[in-house]
Amino acid sequence: MLRKLIKHEFRATGRIMLPLFLVLLVTALGANLSVRGMLDTRYKVLDILGSLLVVAFAVAIIGVCVMSVVLMVQRFYKNLLQDEGYVMMTLPVSVHQHIWSKLIVSAVWFALTIVVVCLASCIVAFDVGFVQELVWGFRELFRELSRYLDAYYAINGTVILLEFLAMCFLGCCVMCLQFYAALAIGHSFPNHKMAWSVLWFFVLQFATQLLAGSLIALLDESWLHHLLLAWTEGWHLSGTAATQLMMLTVLLGEVLYGAVYYFLTTWFLKKRLNLE
Amino acid sequence: MAILTCKGLSKRFGGTQALDQVDITIEPGRIVGLLGPNGSGKTTLIKLANGLLTPSQGEIRICGLAPGKESHACVSYLPERTAIPTWMSVTQLLDFYQDFYADFRRDAAEEMLAHLNIPPKQRIKQMSKGTREKVQLIMVMSRAAKLYLLDEPIGGVDPATRDYILSTIIGNYDPDAAVVISTHLIADVEKVLDDVVFINQGRVMLQASVDQIREEKDMSVDALFREVFKC
Repeated sequence: MLRKLIKHEFRATGRIMLPLFLVLLVTALGANLSVRGMLDTRYKVLDILGSLLVVAFAVAIIGVCVMSVVLMVQRFYKNLLQDEGYVMMTLPVSVHQHIWSKLIVSAVWFALTIVVVCLASCIVAFDVGFVQELVWGFRELFRELSRYLDAYYAINGTVILLEFLAMCFLGCCVMCLQFYAALAIGHSFPNHKMAWSVLWFFVLQFATQLLAGSLIALLDESWLHHLLLAWTEGWHLSGTAATQLMMLTVLLGEVLYGAVYYFLTTWFLKKRLNLE
Repeated sequence: MAILTCKGLSKRFGGTQALDQVDITIEPGRIVGLLGPNGSGKTTLIKLANGLLTPSQGEIRICGLAPGKESHACVSYLPERTAIPTWMSVTQLLDFYQDFYADFRRDAAEEMLAHLNIPPKQRIKQMSKGTREKVQLIMVMSRAAKLYLLDEPIGGVDPATRDYILSTIIGNYDPDAAVVISTHLIADVEKVLDDVVFINQGRVMLQASVDQIREEKDMSVDALFREVFKC
């Protein structure tokens, strides 16, 4: 059933995201033409048109990024908590499957948005003199660096990069879950559901920051600091290993935050669902 | 085995008691009218049966199951409002119901849609309110479910559409299934009902068969309703 939910979720969201991606790629083509020739002509009209094409590209990038977030919130709200909820919440599927389908599809659109924005940037940079020089410069930089790097740094560097990507991906999922939790809690109230949802979003945000801030404060000259020092007394961590440890700790923290939001969302949808 | 049972079912919203110690049993093969004035608790009862609300007290069972994923597979629910996704085309809606319900009879749905001259490519949002309600009813009645829960199916539609809706219900439900029709428009549904449940201020006032009412009280269900709920 999860597969079917995902299929219909892609059908519902694809009709908005795919045309937006197409618009972004078309504006990227326009911006490329503009950068390659239209901006430095003697003709004022071409000059203005070139500027407009570059602005259109910038607007398209912002539009696609904003829309992927808006769509994530709107699908959860309209599909599960508004009128469509009467159909969706009476399907023979569990609340967990509903949340996972929304989460997976949103995460895929976030990832695709990054890919398409990168692709669009490549289109804009294609055959443009100064970008080619920039790429050449980076290539030289990596060539120089690789002379001094051995396999140890190469592998660790790749792992840290992968961990960083995983951290970004998990961060997106946690952000989705924070929105879902706020909406689920807000919509359990009989009136002013959206106002309650907004309020709960900030309450969750405040609680998260307070916890994270307290933890960071605890790490500085406190019982936790001394406890951690005692635990790690015999350890001899290199700089790379310490970075890896920090990345893994952040990943674990993100998973914990996500788990709390996931629990809140499922509990309120199961026990406190209150469709209008 | 009873298809729907409620034992001491209560639901409270803050300080308001929406349902109070409701005991109901609905057997297969019966068309039951859940009758009561506005705000009597009919929709709350149907929402509880669908798992859209959780009881404050007591229990509700559908085919022996607590409301949830498993019970949803044997209940076909028509909400009081149009809830089908409006961005979908008719074909996409048919795909959707076919994907999620093993008992969905696509051929029956297509036949009813063709009878109403609704093109398969038309989007729900391009339809009038009445046509949307008909399409939603067709989807609900095209399932071979064990229990049909129809919340105000004839509320807010013209008399011709009421006739169409009632004939669609009668012509399409599985004879071994139970149908619960919630309404306050008694005169229109009386002719199709086997049993009635009168509900007021969250309490069951009467549960009897239509024949029993006619024989014992010597009056129609509509007349009895007017007498019981006289203001």
